[in-house]
Amino acid sequence: MRGHSEKAAQFLKDENRADWHDQTLWMVRQKRDVAAWSVPGWEDLREEASQIKDHVLSNLDNYLLQFEEKVIENGGTVHWASDAQEFNDLILTIIQKNRAKKIVKSKSMLTEECGLNPYLEKNGVEVVDTDLGERIIQFRNEPPSHIVLPAIHLKKEEIGELFEEKLKTAKGNSDPQYLTAVARSHLREKFLAADVAITGVNFAVADTGTVVVCTNEGNADMGVHAAKVQIHCLGIEKIIPGTKDLAVFIRLLARSATGQPITTYTSHYRKPKPGGQMHVVIVDNGRSKLLGNETYRNSLKCIRCGACMNTCPVYRRSGGHSYNYVIPGPIGSILGPDSDINKFKDLPFVSTLCGSCTNVCPVKINIHELLYDWRQEISEQKILPLSKRYLMKIAGIVLAHNTVYNLSGKVARWAIRNLSGKLIYHRINVWGRERELPEAPRESFKQWYRKNSLERRSGNEQG
Amino acid sequence: MSRDSILKTIRQNKPEFTPLQKYLEVTDPKSGRELLEIFEKSLNQVGAQFIELSLNEEIDTYLSIHFPEAHQIGKNGFWDQYGADCSKEKLDQIDTIILEGQLGVAENGAIWLDESDFPNRLVPFIAQTFIVRLDSGKILSNMMEAYCRLNLENTGFGVFISGPSKTADIEQSLVYGAHGPKSLLVVIY
Amino acid sequence: MIKIGLFIPCYIDQFYPQVGIATLELLQKIGLNIVYPLKQTCCGQPLANSGAEREAIPVCKNFVRNFSEFDYIVSPSGSCVYYIREHYNILDQTDQVKKVRQNTYELCEFIIDVLGMEDLKIEYPHKVGIHQSCHGLRGLKLGIPTELAAKQFSKVHQLLGKAKGIEIISLDRKDECCGFGGTFSVIEPEVSVKMGKERIRDHQINGAEIITATDMSCLMHLEGIIRRQNWNTKVVHIAEILNCNRL
Repeated sequence: MRGHSEKAAQFLKDENRADWHDQTLWMVRQKRDVAAWSVPGWEDLREEASQIKDHVLSNLDNYLLQFEEKVIENGGTVHWASDAQEFNDLILTIIQKNRAKKIVKSKSMLTEECGLNPYLEKNGVEVVDTDLGERIIQFRNEPPSHIVLPAIHLKKEEIGELFEEKLKTAKGNSDPQYLTAVARSHLREKFLAADVAITGVNFAVADTGTVVVCTNEGNADMGVHAAKVQIHCLGIEKIIPGTKDLAVFIRLLARSATGQPITTYTSHYRKPKPGGQMHVVIVDNGRSKLLGNETYRNSLKCIRCGACMNTCPVYRRSGGHSYNYVIPGPIGSILGPDSDINKFKDLPFVSTLCGSCTNVCPVKINIHELLYDWRQEISEQKILPLSKRYLMKIAGIVLAHNTVYNLSGKVARWAIRNLSGKLIYHRINVWGRERELPEAPRESFKQWYRKNSLERRSGNEQG
Repeated sequence: MSRDSILKTIRQNKPEFTPLQKYLEVTDPKSGRELLEIFEKSLNQVGAQFIELSLNEEIDTYLSIHFPEAHQIGKNGFWDQYGADCSKEKLDQIDTIILEGQLGVAENGAIWLDESDFPNRLVPFIAQTFIVRLDSGKILSNMMEAYCRLNLENTGFGVFISGPSKTADIEQSLVYGAHGPKSLLVVIY
Repeated sequence: MIKIGLFIPCYIDQFYPQVGIATLELLQKIGLNIVYPLKQTCCGQPLANSGAEREAIPVCKNFVRNFSEFDYIVSPSGSCVYYIREHYNILDQTDQVKKVRQNTYELCEFIIDVLGMEDLKIEYPHKVGIHQSCHGLRGLKLGIPTELAAKQFSKVHQLLGKAKGIEIISLDRKDECCGFGGTFSVIEPEVSVKMGKERIRDHQINGAEIITATDMSCLMHLEGIIRRQNWNTKVVHIAEILNCNRL
């Protein structure tokens, strides 16, 4: 599997496109800034949200039990899945029990994480992703490149061509209004024909057994209210205590994600419709284990807003697909290694640790600090290449010992001054591919200081 | 059983209990007129249109002139015809729907409705054009005030609706009417 | 009398001694008793940021050994100072370690917060763009970054704003990272260079002749790109500008 740096290099080859990707996401970040500034006490709100999440994690089992009790009381059915396989099986079972063949699904990163779509398709079930961005990437058979803006990496001409092939739109027409209108008709057919609607869950409110789903398009509602069976899927960490907590998060979510004051629809599902079924599936898939990890536990507070991606200068210039993980960007670079440290050991290094992500996170996850911590952990587990490990050992010795350090510095500077350019700028010199090395002075500061101190001292003796 | 093993692991792994802190005070002393102005500014921001009318007759006249074919509660047996048993195909025929909102939120132009406000849960989403009547005295400042006013236990389904359905999934170009109503008109009285 | 230790980061010591000299001269002009311990080497950050925190421990211990006798330690580097204050928690917290962590300052914050000085009587008739190095800005809170909904301020702007003849240009992106990031610059060279180019272009478009910063590492990376591209923009460390004064 090509790692992030190779894929990023590829992404940057089309410089115009990379610039467009960067500028588009930077604009979203700016919209977030405007929204944040428009809320008096925004930073206090973030602190409040962070504290609510800390509290929830410390009482998670009780809130889950309360939520379950309420959902059942309200006429819903609650299922629990330990891992992705069990989750997929559970969903399939519900579908098969209802003899359903057509499924519509609104955005759920959890279902992406578990690989639900391919599993259902393998079992003869048609799954249609109804969020426009998700439908687009479903047509293209590729994963989302952003958790909120799944098709952000695509230009409208590409979508036009795709729709021409899949939806028989007019050739060469890439007008977003036109394309959206065609998708609207196409997906409405799917909504009306569906037997089962699957949604993610933005917030699961424990005290009333309410499932809250936020969309701009209304696709969660179209699916849920048209189909007989509605299934809502959540990770265990999506629980919040009550309505006041919900208020805090609803004020933060859309503003952090896109700069909107709220999504168009904030839907509260509590009871099945007359004659319908409401299922709620609670999924673990590694979360309860992460809960026990004092260092990385904070990452469970994530509300999947994507703000960290929009602000990350590395994400903007490498694209979500470069990360190879279902969730890209800064938060993905923490969650990835937790799910598979070997597969994603490069991700925590895909960062300059600038700290901007931590500042935009609505729940104050200390993302840049966790990236630093993951680097230490990966290093300690000895899974970095041998050459890198030895380099660190040598560097440690050089930098700890004054005489060795002084000598190494002298040698390095001599080499830069005297060796031929061809040698210095050999391909192996990664720095030198697109940058000049610094000029190498004859004297280090230390040498200058020593010399000048001696002169000053001898001057004092004479004078 | 997964339920038990998940809960067991959570109990073992959860951090030391931290109590919930006191909620931030966000009650807004703004006057009704000020809130209305902010609400209308938010409606603009989210792509909704609005009109201020004062009397019931004025509203009825306006709506019957501009939206003569619109469906609304109390007219032509709307509630019975489009109830829970109504076919999806029939619901799909709804062009314009007029409903009454329970409260509005100034900071984001959101309006709360629940299933007691419409005969079938699909109604507010499947219509092409959505008109909401809202009493200006029911506009609150922010979501905290709104949620404190509501009691979620009163309903099986409720929704905050802020503007028409929208998407920007195609090159961040804003398009209204992704799946739900293409336009939203708020009649404020 | 207050004794101040001067810490000169390894790459400034080796490649940019003029920055060290400017820092020393400036502090001497102010009338401070500055000593440069000769056995210092490095703060340990390059190793720790690469994941080798344990290997950095002897380096950190050498730092503490050299500097624990001073009342204050001053350095022309935001990232090194951030590393010492935040990450020396990996060492046993002896009195010496605690003292060093509490009393290490980046140059600008030392001048403003400890010395209480704002006007260094600087003369610098140039168009200057300020690159707000991330560790200094967000780590040491030398300023408030634009993503925080809080009253904006910047210690660097405060000091330079008083300089005679200076024109501080306004950037399109006021605090985006330059892309150096230590080993990131060679692990992800393409992204690193792309970020650096964008930073430089922002300064160029907005009229900067000179780019300055609290961190020579950022400037080393930007300068490397500038020289390879044969551009005209110069990089000058903040210490060198602050040292252009009539004190």
